[in-house]
Amino acid sequence: MKKSFLSIGLSVVLLWMAGCKEPTIDEGILPFVEPATVDPDGGTWRTIVLKSAADITVPQPTAATSDTYQKELTDIKNGLLSISPEQNTAVNYWADGGVRRWNQIARQLVAKYNVVPDYLTNPNIGSPSDPANPMASPSFAARVYALLSVAQYDALVVAWRAKYQYNRPALERQGVIGRVPIADVPSYPSEDAAIAETSYQILAYLFPNEAGWLKAKATEHKQSRLWAGASVPSDLKAGEDLASIVATTVLDRARSDRFATAHDPTNSWQTALASAPFDVKWKSLDSPVRAPMLPLGGRVKTWYDSTALAKLAPAAPPATTSTEFQKALGEVRDMASARTRDQWSSSSFWDDGIATYMLAGHWNVIAQDLIRDARQNELRSARTYALMNRAMQDGSTASWATMYRYFVPRPSQVDPTIKTSVAIPNYPGYPSDHAPISTAAGTILAYLFPDQASSLNAQATEAALSRLYGGIQYRFDVDEGTKLGTAIGNVAVTTAKVDGAK
Amino acid sequence: MRLTAYTVLIVLLQSLAYQTHAQGLVDGFMRGQRKASLAVIGSQDTYDSYYVGKTEIRNPNIGTVTTQALTLVGTYGLGYDLDLIVAVPYIRTEASAGYSPKQEGFQDISAALRWEAYDYKFGKLRVSWQFALGYSVPLQNYVNDALVAIGRGSRNFDARTLLHFKTGKFFLTGQYGYIRRGQVTLDHVVNTYDPGQVNPASGSTVNSPDVTDMSIRTGIITKPFAADVWIQRQTPYNEGTDIGPGIPFPTNAVGFTRAGASAYLRLIGKLGLTGGYSVTLDGRNIGKFTRITGGLVVGL
Repeated sequence: MKKSFLSIGLSVVLLWMAGCKEPTIDEGILPFVEPATVDPDGGTWRTIVLKSAADITVPQPTAATSDTYQKELTDIKNGLLSISPEQNTAVNYWADGGVRRWNQIARQLVAKYNVVPDYLTNPNIGSPSDPANPMASPSFAARVYALLSVAQYDALVVAWRAKYQYNRPALERQGVIGRVPIADVPSYPSEDAAIAETSYQILAYLFPNEAGWLKAKATEHKQSRLWAGASVPSDLKAGEDLASIVATTVLDRARSDRFATAHDPTNSWQTALASAPFDVKWKSLDSPVRAPMLPLGGRVKTWYDSTALAKLAPAAPPATTSTEFQKALGEVRDMASARTRDQWSSSSFWDDGIATYMLAGHWNVIAQDLIRDARQNELRSARTYALMNRAMQDGSTASWATMYRYFVPRPSQVDPTIKTSVAIPNYPGYPSDHAPISTAAGTILAYLFPDQASSLNAQATEAALSRLYGGIQYRFDVDEGTKLGTAIGNVAVTTAKVDGAK
Repeated sequence: MRLTAYTVLIVLLQSLAYQTHAQGLVDGFMRGQRKASLAVIGSQDTYDSYYVGKTEIRNPNIGTVTTQALTLVGTYGLGYDLDLIVAVPYIRTEASAGYSPKQEGFQDISAALRWEAYDYKFGKLRVSWQFALGYSVPLQNYVNDALVAIGRGSRNFDARTLLHFKTGKFFLTGQYGYIRRGQVTLDHVVNTYDPGQVNPASGSTVNSPDVTDMSIRTGIITKPFAADVWIQRQTPYNEGTDIGPGIPFPTNAVGFTRAGASAYLRLIGKLGLTGGYSVTLDGRNIGKFTRITGGLVVGL
């Protein structure tokens, strides 16, 4: 009898296991945070693409005592009682912060489009430069985040200016009990509508195939603020209108920033390679061989002072015949042949390669947590992202310019016995692009969040060194890149000091 | 007729942990009470093409991948109907082209308990029905998220049932099992775009799809000699990913159909030689490898 029970028991175990579902891994529910400050002077902060917030006139709202407004208010109050579960989900989702949410959406799209054409399963695949289906590269990603946060920031400065100019009281001051914590700022125009509309327009320009999906997201974002009890429709309308103007201005800049030709449609890089002032010429280590990534990426318009940035260009790297170079190569070789598990792990952690939101996205995640912890309001969040993302894009652009000047080969090209723990990027190596992007981001974030400075600097250093651990970069690539990044980060800090925010 | 412990085909006794080594820790032959055997098995796998999803491709950035393993397998009869089996493989794997580093080290220790629940005789035919439960755990934090890797780093729970027929020299064993693969922690945060939400994580922990495992083995067995042929099919049970740029390897849905033959020859006393050869007939997110094995078995 015992035997039967046991065998039945074991059979049941087998069947039960076969019926199991994989556990769901989720990010948990983060608590809502109420902004630490409201920044009433936000409307005077220096804008980036707009000359000033006064460039855009937000029409005067109807008076708070008017029947039109009172009806809007009553509708919101009544509406709060009949929110569906789906609407409530949307309310909670967007209450985490519009700027942060749209930054996440941008990261998700970068990861989606950050794919190399699959030559292995489809050798006849075409060029990856189809504008309708952009391939997200490190420079592309940095530009996405920069354009998005710059547009959000400018739109929010305009919104803030109008908010404190017209002072339409927040709904909670008029007896509405919001479903989520709501910033105590004047409600007209809606900052959420401004964020949603600019974000939608910028991202739809960068990812044209996603326009429909983005539009739906933006609509949901705006509507969620009515359901939350944060805004009335006329607040949304005004936010949306001002955002459209800001988006148009930012998109004008995007169209003329020379990124569209960064993939070098005329293949001028071949001439540049032939005349490059370095003794060994870079070549693609991919099989099959591919043209390098965005050869003219270094000509893209910079956000910060281009003359100052040009002066930061790293000097010529040591020739392969020099002792200095041989020593550097030897270091990579030794590192690669005796790579520790921790070095592997570090290189993998900071690789942010294909199919990810890229290194710039990684720093946006780091910034996101700092912003949340500091309880920054929407305007301040956008400022943090905009300062950092401009610095990162400029860091990327500046490293691209030097890379395609010297065409320095990667370590594995000079010594094929060097094996790498991460994929070898298909572009020249000097300087490391990881170093300036990370150091620039680390420097500006350390200024904005001084309590975290030592941890941020340590992360930037590790990100830069991870490329040496990976075996794809010499130490002089990392050192020069770090110098470049620190200088760009300091330019960003100088900008931050005088932009009006305290 | 209960067989002596060591005239068996330990060639299959390799780690159940790693898919390329997951031929099954368990065969149909019980060891017998207080009988033990120890085997040292060497194996070499090579492949120059692998399956991305179910599409077979060659990758010039990898070339030919060669994996060598040395596995120590011990079996012990805890009771006349209960065996304990333990295996520890040391693995080295290397690609002939490209820049992927060689990986080497101890992989996963696996252990299984096998219980013979029923043992019937119908004239000359003997039928035995068995259950086995196994567990495996990585011996070290090896690199798991690379095409060239010694394992996938998951802790696995393995439950299976076996039906074993024997008449005279001939035998036939069928088994069906379910391998539950635990979660794997990667070196990096998972942020690949995934509309199917196979990895709905914003951390670095991912699910590794479970698999079902079926095999049939038949052959002849005598005291000094044994030979058999087998076919094994492993099928991913849960939804998983396909090998792709940026996709974490541990989340891939891995499956295969493989066939092989093996033989055992007693040398002197309780010492025997074993060898085998197997090929991959089809697969999913796995190398299309062929494997040769050879080893020494000693009864204790």
